[in-house]
Order: sequence, then C-alpha cells, then structure tokens
Amino acid sequence: MIRSMPRTETAQKGHAQAEALAAFGRYAGPATLILSSLADGPKHGYALTKDIEDFAEVRIAPGTMYEALARLERQGLIEPLESSDRRRPYRLTSEGAVALRAHLDSQRRVADVGLRRLASSTGIG
Amino acid sequence: MTDSSGAAVRRAKRLVRCYPRTWRARYGEEFTQLLVDDISERPRSAGRAADVLRSGLLARLAVAGLAGDTLQPERQVRVGLAILGFSVTAFVATGIAIWSQLTIGWQWSAPAESATKAGMLVMTGALVAFAVAALLAATPLLWALCREFVRGRGRDLVPPLAALGAGAFVLVIGSIHFGHGWPGTGGHPWSGRDIVPGWVARFWWAATLWITSYWAHPVALAAFPASEVAWMVASPIAMLAVVIGVTRTIRRLPLSLRVLRYESWLGLTAAVILAGFLAGASSWVISGGPSPRGLFRVGTIDMVGVAVMGAALILAFRAAQRTLAASPIRTATP
Repeated sequence: MIRSMPRTETAQKGHAQAEALAAFGRYAGPATLILSSLADGPKHGYALTKDIEDFAEVRIAPGTMYEALARLERQGLIEPLESSDRRRPYRLTSEGAVALRAHLDSQRRVADVGLRRLASSTGIG
Repeated sequence: MTDSSGAAVRRAKRLVRCYPRTWRARYGEEFTQLLVDDISERPRSAGRAADVLRSGLLARLAVAGLAGDTLQPERQVRVGLAILGFSVTAFVATGIAIWSQLTIGWQWSAPAESATKAGMLVMTGALVAFAVAALLAATPLLWALCREFVRGRGRDLVPPLAALGAGAFVLVIGSIHFGHGWPGTGGHPWSGRDIVPGWVARFWWAATLWITSYWAHPVALAAFPASEVAWMVASPIAMLAVVIGVTRTIRRLPLSLRVLRYESWLGLTAAVILAGFLAGASSWVISGGPSPRGLFRVGTIDMVGVAVMGAALILAFRAAQRTLAASPIRTATP
C-alpha cells in the first residue's frame, strides 16, 4: 500500500524525485516504463517485460531491464520482495510513486502543449 | 529438465558471466532466470546477446569507478589511481617502443620530413616532462614508504617491493646487455647526432623489444638468436612484476586523501603531457615518409601502437576525471 502525503509535501518531493528520474538520462525511458508497470502491483523481470510489451509495445532487453532495475533500487524508487523461486519480484516504493507521478505529469504537460499547438496550426488533433 | 531448457540455462549462465562478481552475487540468480525465460520465448536473438554484453561491460566499468554512480570517495580515488597507473603504463610502454625505434633511426640519419622531425621533438619533450611528473608523483610515495619502515610497519610491504626490485633488476641488466646488440646505437662514427644520447635510445629499444610485429611472423622470429627471443619473453614479465610491485606497494601504503588528490592531479597532468606525445606520434604516422633509407617507415605495428595509446589516453582521462570528482576538497573552517 502506498502511503499518502500532504499535497504540498508531495509536490516538493515529486519535483525532487522527478529530477532523480530525469538523471537517468537515456535510461529514463525504461525507468518510466518499469515504474508504470509496477504501479498496479509487484512484478518480476519477465512479467515486467511482458507487461511493458503489452501496454507500450516496447520490449526491454534483459540487460537494459536489469540496469534500470538496479538503478531504481539504488535510488530507493523500487524495492525487491522475498521470493520462493528465482524470479524475484519488485514493488514501487512511496518515493517511486511520487517520482512517477511527477514525471508523468511533466510528460503530460508537454504532450498537451504539443497536441494543442498541432491542432491550432494544422487542424490535426 | 528438458534438453532445451537445460541448453537455455547453460546459455543464460554463460551470458551472466559478462557481469562482475559483485553484480552477480546480488542479481545473478534472478537475471539468469529472466534470460532463461527470454531464451525460451525467443531462442535466437543477436540483439539480446549484444544488450547483455554492453550492459555487462557497463557494470564492469561501474565496479572500476569508470561509469555509473561514483564509488565511496576513498575507494573511487584508489581504484581510479590504479586504472590511471595501468593506462599510463600501457601508453608509455607502447610510446617508448615507437620513440626508441625512431631515435635509433635518427642515429643514422635525420628524418627528411619536417613533420616527422617536429613530431619526434614533441615526443622527446613530452617524455622528459613525463619523467619529471613521475618523479614528482614518486616523492610523497617514497616518503610514506620510508616512514612505514622507520616506524617498523613495513613487513607487509616487503613482498611487493621484492617483486618490484627483481623486475627492475632484470629489466635494467637485460636492457643494458641487449642494447649493445644493436649496431646503430653508438658503435658507429656518426653516433651522437640524435636528439638523445645513443645509450638512452638503445636502452629503451631493448626494454621494449617485445613490442614487435615479429610475433605475427614466427618464421622470421625463429631466425633471431635464442637469447634475444628469451629476452623478448622475459622482459614483459619483468615489466609486469614492476607494475604489480608498484601497484601493491601503493595499495598497502597508508596515504592521506590529500596525497591521493595530489597524485590524481599529477595523473591528469601526465595524461595531458602524453596527449602531446600522441600528437607528435600522430604527426609522424600521418605525414612521416620512409626517407631517408627507410629509417622512418610507418608499419602496421606503429598504427596499432598509436591506436593503443589513444585508447589508453581516453581511459586515463576518464579515470583522472572521476577520481578528481570523487576526492573531497578540504574546506576552510570558518
């Protein structure tokens, strides 16, 4: 269960965590996809691969997947769970949820502006 | 376990070996399972293998403090200095092999190409500057070494120092002995016309005799005197003993962060100096003609040498940059 926070505190932490996510550079894409996938519950590596393939039509290769998982874990945005077999599941932490929210909000703002301008200049939208 | 799943596990385990031991200890088991699942779904994928190789290399670079997050400051500085030392050694060994051949050529006749002449002067100047930087780097280390022995804490330092001493002894004696075997290094009437004395050129020529394309031509190599071939095998081992001896001695010496930072700055300075050397060598490779008498002909081994030096320099700059970024600067107290 993700702990809820007061709105201003959430916004401040969100900004900081979004910066942490942006610091992923070219790994920000896989990181966002992984966090989005974990938003509806814990998953192990292969389940993440299949889920991301389903909702984003992107297949993250195993090496890239674990590079991103290791970084997200080091930053405290996800955490590993105990597992009875070799497939270790990961879950989103509260910091990870805040970071994902802030990052997606920022992406949505960019997408909204782009779509609005496209509609006004070309009529497509 | 079926044959196909057994094969998938074996392939996955082979791929996981691309990663460093510490990474495997934490993620090895679960990553192997992900690879097994992936291989079961898509048995052949060149993209997957390339992705794992790239990612494994990055993980290894991260362990060495050359990529990813910075390590704990003191470890980052020590690891960075070790890589800096390794890359500078590789550069200098290769560079001296090229430089000594050229200076020996100059013993016979000065190069006709002005670019070759200028290149060699730059290379020689860079080597002198590098020697000064190396001396400055060695001074605080020698001081720390003496202090350890005076305080009676030098027992751990004896084995690496013995390796260093033995390697240096073999290198010096062997290089002096085999240097005399080259007819163009001081025995003829025109010796002394070079930019350095003949004995300097022949000493370093003999010390780096093993860096040669003759290894790719065993028939030609077999025509060499047996003692010379034995030296070509023994001298890199002696050089390795010196490098290991120096590295282990430094690792066991208690050095303050201030000294480590000083060494990092000198490492960066050395890398800048060696960039000058590389520019000189490149000037010869790009424009250096064979004249006169084919003394300055550029061979494949020289082009490989320049490429090795370029790679070593990139590594040295990267290590120096990350080492300096990690070493804390002493802040003034209010």
